[in-house]
Amino acid sequence: MKRGLGLYAVAAYAFLHLPLLVLAVFSFNSSRFTIWQGWSLAWYRAALQDGQLGEAAWNSLLIAVASTVLSTVVGTLCAYGLWKRDSKLLSGSLYLSLVTPEIVTGISLLVFFQWIFRFLHVQLGMHTVILAHIAFSLSYVVIVVMARLRTFDASLEEAALDLGATEWQAFRRVTLPVLAPGIAAAALLAFTTSFDDYVITSMVAGVDSETLPMVVYAMARRGANPVLNAISTLIVAVLGSLIVLSERLRES
Amino acid sequence: MTQLRRLFLAPAGVIMGVLFLVPLAIMLAYSFLTRGAYGGVTAEVTGDNYQRVFDPLYAAILLRTFVMAGTATLGCLVLGFPLALFISRAGPRKNLYLQLVILPFWTSFLIRTYAWMFLLRDTGLINSALLAAGLVHQPLPLLYNEGAVFVGLVYGYLPFVVLPLYATLERLDKNLLEAAADLGARPWVTLTRVMIPLCAPGFRAGALLVFIPCLGAYLTPDLLGGSKTVMVGNVIQNQFTTARDWPFGSAVSLLLMAIVMVLLMLLIRRGGEKLV
Amino acid sequence: MTRRTLFLMGIAGAAGCSRGAVRRLNVFNWSSYVAPNTIPDFEKEFGARVRYAVYESNEEMLARVMSGNSGWDVVFPTNYFIEPMRETGLLAELDHHRLPNLGQLDGPFQSPAWDPGLQWGVPYMWNATGIAYNKKLVPALTAWADLWSPALSGHMTMLDDPVDVFAACLKKLGLRANTRDTGELRRAQHEAIVQKPLLRAYLNAEVRDQLVSGDVLAAQLWSTTAQQAIDASPQIDFVYPREGFAVYPDIAVILRESPRKELAHQLLNYLLRPEVAAAIVVAARTATANGGARAFLPEAIRNNKTLYPSVEVMARAEWSQAATPEIQRLRDRLWTEVKSS
Repeated sequence: MKRGLGLYAVAAYAFLHLPLLVLAVFSFNSSRFTIWQGWSLAWYRAALQDGQLGEAAWNSLLIAVASTVLSTVVGTLCAYGLWKRDSKLLSGSLYLSLVTPEIVTGISLLVFFQWIFRFLHVQLGMHTVILAHIAFSLSYVVIVVMARLRTFDASLEEAALDLGATEWQAFRRVTLPVLAPGIAAAALLAFTTSFDDYVITSMVAGVDSETLPMVVYAMARRGANPVLNAISTLIVAVLGSLIVLSERLRES
Repeated sequence: MTQLRRLFLAPAGVIMGVLFLVPLAIMLAYSFLTRGAYGGVTAEVTGDNYQRVFDPLYAAILLRTFVMAGTATLGCLVLGFPLALFISRAGPRKNLYLQLVILPFWTSFLIRTYAWMFLLRDTGLINSALLAAGLVHQPLPLLYNEGAVFVGLVYGYLPFVVLPLYATLERLDKNLLEAAADLGARPWVTLTRVMIPLCAPGFRAGALLVFIPCLGAYLTPDLLGGSKTVMVGNVIQNQFTTARDWPFGSAVSLLLMAIVMVLLMLLIRRGGEKLV
Repeated sequence: MTRRTLFLMGIAGAAGCSRGAVRRLNVFNWSSYVAPNTIPDFEKEFGARVRYAVYESNEEMLARVMSGNSGWDVVFPTNYFIEPMRETGLLAELDHHRLPNLGQLDGPFQSPAWDPGLQWGVPYMWNATGIAYNKKLVPALTAWADLWSPALSGHMTMLDDPVDVFAACLKKLGLRANTRDTGELRRAQHEAIVQKPLLRAYLNAEVRDQLVSGDVLAAQLWSTTAQQAIDASPQIDFVYPREGFAVYPDIAVILRESPRKELAHQLLNYLLRPEVAAAIVVAARTATANGGARAFLPEAIRNNKTLYPSVEVMARAEWSQAATPEIQRLRDRLWTEVKSS
């Protein structure tokens, strides 16, 4: 059985990794059809020279960084607060938001923004996308940090308090450093989810807020496209390295 | 103590309240209103939208969505368990194997879906290979049908079952397995009669983690399903874009959420354990 | 020294500020519907920065614009949307004093049925809907009814547009595309539902690449997009079905919400220039509403039977009209049912 299992594992890993590898390989294909015709970086050149793509990538980065910072800070504080004593309403909302289908989240936010904008003379734009991303990332951050908090020894904080520290000092000097890896993991999760999001973003994006996933989706709808292969490979490579790097840092 | 805690919870509370609960409340209100002539919402109150959701047409879509999500979940569990088993027995390289499973998941879901579009098209890699090998004379219609959506969903959510199953396997008491072997059970019997039942919590968690997102799936059926595979997520998106029927779309959305909540409550009650 | 530095920085800042006061314009148009230099030349001449984005369907555009707060200045709806958009207060009235080039428009477009005084929009380009198909299909396709053939199952698409799909169904049934009869519309819906299992997908201009690559063998398509496909591959041909077909002009409109109506008018006037319109025709392979442009068109385009069909073919054409609100609402609902079936 062990050998059978081993063979199965090979097949399973192939299933998990081959599609992306194939995309990558064909991004270097000089022909635009699926017949190998030699190496070429033409599609990468086209992708990197595309102004619209560059702007979309920049928007995605901006949105991801802004929403990650905000949701990580708010989420960490929230997780700590909930760990001390649960609030049924808040944790209930967080869990509900976790299981809400993306399309419903996106639409509810669109409906909300359109309703509120009637009074505010504001439009959909970068700010709405960032707000939307914070809204859905928050529950991820809270869950990850809470999981880390569960393994934290509360007596450490108590000891600090006994020694005369204020609650805030105990939190900042004792708990936070121990939580740091968990917070980093949560931030990474928030970042990748935000960078990759299509469904929610497409609903609340405005005139000036086209993101990378929106461009990728529009190209994918048109059918296979070697430039899209190049873009995909770049995105996967960047995100993948980010993750591997963070894992290395965490282990060291 | 409570001062600081309240301060800590406040921003999250405001965000959840304003950006999650209020929007849902607005949608609830809209679901009882009527669509304007060209779109938009008028103040006419009606229960029509909910009535329409239970039309045979939309009931059929809900059913189809359940079946699709159910088969994808089953597929994930069946394919994921042996992989989790392999990793839990892999000795020193366990962590590496686990990382290899998770890594693709962390990169873009959209791109991974596109990868299957690339593979399954008529002029895609699979068909080109089959044609070149002479196994078929015409490209097989692999894309734009339910099969493609099934593959896309399983591919997207497989890592979600491997993790909880692996965690459960790790916590398994090896003595129980040894005891079964001592009593004369063959490996296959130990697997089916002892191991799998003991892994029930892992299966439940994994099923939950796949079934619920699949119910609300939108991207996968949109890109891989063509016009033929309409799931609830697609109907909802359609109502808020091309059909411009916000009241009806709101009704369908809230129904979907209600179903998800009911499922969660049932599954959690049966499991009797906290999920996180 | 510090004061001098501050002074220089101040000047640099002021210079940057005035450059930053570049006039912006947000334009939302159909995909592949301008020439590569149309917008850049406009930007240069008028000192503007244009944000130019594209959409694939009227519904997609309308969904964004309906809020009355979308951020777009100029959009290009098809003519039958002019009335609904006007009714819901989305359009800004045109100031003819700012549009001296209006005289360039072709005769029929000077006082069209949907907007006799040209108060709400400037006709831009027009298209007809027919069937684009791969020449390896024998016999060649000639009618809408051919798209109901099981032999093409899985290899054909229809447009993702209720007006076009129902128009094809109505024509197949021998009825008018602009019918106001709800019974006829329901019969058309029935046809669409019968056809759906045979289709690969409902796709608009996105299907062009798939036609060229051979993934799709037949598609209901606009003449513009079809010509683009034909240019990319000699294997593709286009036919105007013998049962008749619909013809649509797309109209450039200024949204009422726009705070930049002056610049928007300048864009519309610029698009009316014969050379500009001609360049768009050549690049986008479309038919123009601009009569003056014809003089600038190369021979090959002027005689292109896809873009400028012959008189006999045009006799089968039916120009699209706005529908009543009831028909519009019914059509939207019937379309949802078709897509969900």
